[in-house]
Amino acid sequence: MLTLLSMFYYICLRRRSRSGTRGEALTSRRAVESGQRAVLPVSVEVEQYAKEVLDFSSHYGSENSMSYTMWNLAGVPNVYPSSGDFTQTAVFRTYGTWWEQCASAPLPFRRTPKGFYSKDYIELGFEEPVYPTAVEVFETYYPGAIVQILACSHNPFTQNPPTDVRWEVLWSGEPTKVLTPQARQFSPKIKHIGFPTNLLRLEVNSSLLDYYTELDAVILRGVKERPMLALYKMPIIDISDLSDSEEELSDVGGPFRQGDGKHQRTGNGYFDKLPYELIQLILSHLTLPDLCRLAQSCKLLHQHCCDPLQYTQLSLQPYWARLSDASLGHLQSRCTLLQRLNLSWTGNRGVLTLTGFSSFMKACGLSLVCLEMSCCHFLNEACLEVISQTCPGLQELNLSSCDRLPPQAFTHISKLTRLRRLVLYRTKIEQTAILSILTFCIELRHLNLGSCVRIEDYDVVASMLATRCRSLCSLDLWRCRNLTDRGLTELVSGCRMLEELDLGWCPTLQSSTGCFQHLARSLPRLRKLFLTANRTVCDSDIEELAASCPCLRHLDILGTRSVSAASLKKLLQSCPQLVLLDVSFCSQIDMRIVQELSGLFPNVAIKKSFTQ
Amino acid sequence: MLSVLSYGRLVARAVIGGLSQTDSRDYSLVTASCGFGKDFRRGILKKGMCYGDDACFIARHRSADVLGGWRDYGVDPSQFSGTLMKTCERLVKEGRFVPSNPVGVLTTSYYELLQNKVPLLGSSTACIVVLDRQSHRLHTANLGDSGFLVVRGGEVVHRSDEQQHYFNTPFQLSIAPPGAEGAVLSDSPDAADSTSFDVQLGDIILTATDGLFDNMPDYMILQELKKLKNTNYESIQQTARSIAEQAHVLAYDPNYMSPFAQFACDNGLNVRGGKPDDITVLLSIVAEYTD
Repeated sequence: MLTLLSMFYYICLRRRSRSGTRGEALTSRRAVESGQRAVLPVSVEVEQYAKEVLDFSSHYGSENSMSYTMWNLAGVPNVYPSSGDFTQTAVFRTYGTWWEQCASAPLPFRRTPKGFYSKDYIELGFEEPVYPTAVEVFETYYPGAIVQILACSHNPFTQNPPTDVRWEVLWSGEPTKVLTPQARQFSPKIKHIGFPTNLLRLEVNSSLLDYYTELDAVILRGVKERPMLALYKMPIIDISDLSDSEEELSDVGGPFRQGDGKHQRTGNGYFDKLPYELIQLILSHLTLPDLCRLAQSCKLLHQHCCDPLQYTQLSLQPYWARLSDASLGHLQSRCTLLQRLNLSWTGNRGVLTLTGFSSFMKACGLSLVCLEMSCCHFLNEACLEVISQTCPGLQELNLSSCDRLPPQAFTHISKLTRLRRLVLYRTKIEQTAILSILTFCIELRHLNLGSCVRIEDYDVVASMLATRCRSLCSLDLWRCRNLTDRGLTELVSGCRMLEELDLGWCPTLQSSTGCFQHLARSLPRLRKLFLTANRTVCDSDIEELAASCPCLRHLDILGTRSVSAASLKKLLQSCPQLVLLDVSFCSQIDMRIVQELSGLFPNVAIKKSFTQ
Repeated sequence: MLSVLSYGRLVARAVIGGLSQTDSRDYSLVTASCGFGKDFRRGILKKGMCYGDDACFIARHRSADVLGGWRDYGVDPSQFSGTLMKTCERLVKEGRFVPSNPVGVLTTSYYELLQNKVPLLGSSTACIVVLDRQSHRLHTANLGDSGFLVVRGGEVVHRSDEQQHYFNTPFQLSIAPPGAEGAVLSDSPDAADSTSFDVQLGDIILTATDGLFDNMPDYMILQELKKLKNTNYESIQQTARSIAEQAHVLAYDPNYMSPFAQFACDNGLNVRGGKPDDITVLLSIVAEYTD
């Protein structure tokens, strides 16, 4: 019986493997390495800078600007070899772990594979498809953030719709921190792939860095003709394994039914002795692909692995490159108890469609509480309608950087009346839709309207928030260009529970109206305040913050001329929980003062960026 | 003294027009610049082309040649106009402009200045001249008291208008210190004067800050331009230099009745002599486009 089991197990695993098994790949590699140290044919190496930035997850700069925006990564370097905080570079929206420390941050998903570090990405198109031999990235400020480089088989500049889109990892690594923030040319050793590419994707993670990382340019070096020593590559992540599970199910059942029928023993060895909950606990540590593969090993484990209790949280973001309608289809039956779903970054270039998505949401939407759909460009109005219909209990919705969604799609969100967290960073939502959402979603605790440039009058939005969303805890109004003191005053008078407020790059707020002092007095629970690039912030504002906001943890006053060292000292003394203070480009605060303050208050990370 | 009021001037660039009517060739500008800072800093080339508090640039895009100049009024003189100039240059090189809308270049650059983390302060006049290579049209935008002349066959066929709020206070782009917004003159880039006209091969375009026009009347300028025989860079450079030098000399002549003095007298101020000022001259000839 045992031999039968182990034999069968072996057969199953062998059949499960894709064509080109590990054994075959090893053989071919050995053959190549041993005999054929042949001379490579003389191929012309082509060196290209990026032609166009096609997609990205976030950036620091304003839409329609060329300062600190991702579009700067195309073309030749503007800054390199200088180091510093220059406008002509590509800068992501966040760095470090500051945003993860905030209450507005989502909880991490279980089962995130250990090698998946990526937090942001950017996709670049090059002029000519080549077989890559090298990729060089010019990092001009706080380097070390790049964690993965991928190449795509699809040519983004053809008119044809994408078919058979394949992504291969050229290089992956861990986030690092380089000791000095100086510029460097990052050129990791990349794998050779079997197809020509002119579409690269860089994934970054800046959590170890002391300040924003900045990138200047990317070079793709490659050859036009296929190199001789192209080794067959094993797929690293094989979520398409899922597609086998249905076919092989019947086979798995077969041999066991042959059993003598005298006892019901299934012959799983010690696994039969373990309580159900214990096996469930063991399986809860497996990553998703492993869980799916294990489901095909035997009937008992199949039952466990398909148990909906294993799928209360599902993060498909690490597998964005291989997720398709078919994968969702196969997961569907297991996801009836799904509460938290992460589909961020998935589905682009046609691999997920409305059909697959709505079928999945209909199956699992009922218990869904959290839905992360950042950078999901397959979303359209119909998809949002499906969400609003199938997820009545949804409390968290993240549509960050879904910039292809048309404005009318957002009106469906107002049907999700239980919403507590809504992220609309860099979307095209318009005034009427957001007002409608605020009218109905009165339980909102966390709202992100950063870089929502289509909203015409932020004062009206602030007023509506003050009236309807009184339990608002965090609000991100980064780059909201026409919020004035009138709106701000109404906001802080109505939303007394506010702990986090990001008013970075809001040029129309004037300190002389007293709005910042009023803010400080009205929000005693304030923990995070960003007044980035508000040139009017002055000493009285800082002093009022010191007096009224003892819980302050993060403060950003980049770029003001009017704040002196004395008021900062008062602030640091009065706010013992302060851990982040950004005084970059504050003319009265030079490096000497920063060093002095850092010495007196060692728990505070005082940031002072420089241009040269 | 004068430096407080006479802030930025843009140097207009002269573009020399051609002769043929229906020409399918692409035109381009052959340009030279020269200038003098008023503090006897002789044409120091720093960060591109800067003469005293003036700055200018020449940028090429595949569809157009763009020239521009600024004069800085700022508290921190180098930063404001220098950054504005570099931003315009970058806009042009990356093709983020429409040749027929030079005011757009100004507006976008001004907006980009506000996106800089560094708290820039200052003000500047601006003048931009764009030659659309294919259509042979010259598009200009002028904010302030710089000026340009277009000379064809020894005669002035186009000239710019000075934009002033009142005597010696030109229109200017500015970013004021916080709190001083009411006190500091700040004009929107949309207030720039814009013109468009056709040019011919051989047309001479002279763009200059008011240091030139305040010290040299038109007939003197035309006299110098008559000496320009060739369309090569060296001759243009030489002519530009001689014009700038002459203006520089006249500026310090206390008895000379300069155009500035004339205008001052017309406004009730009894003055004589030249006007010591930064002088920047950009001289261009419209020629055939060669790569």
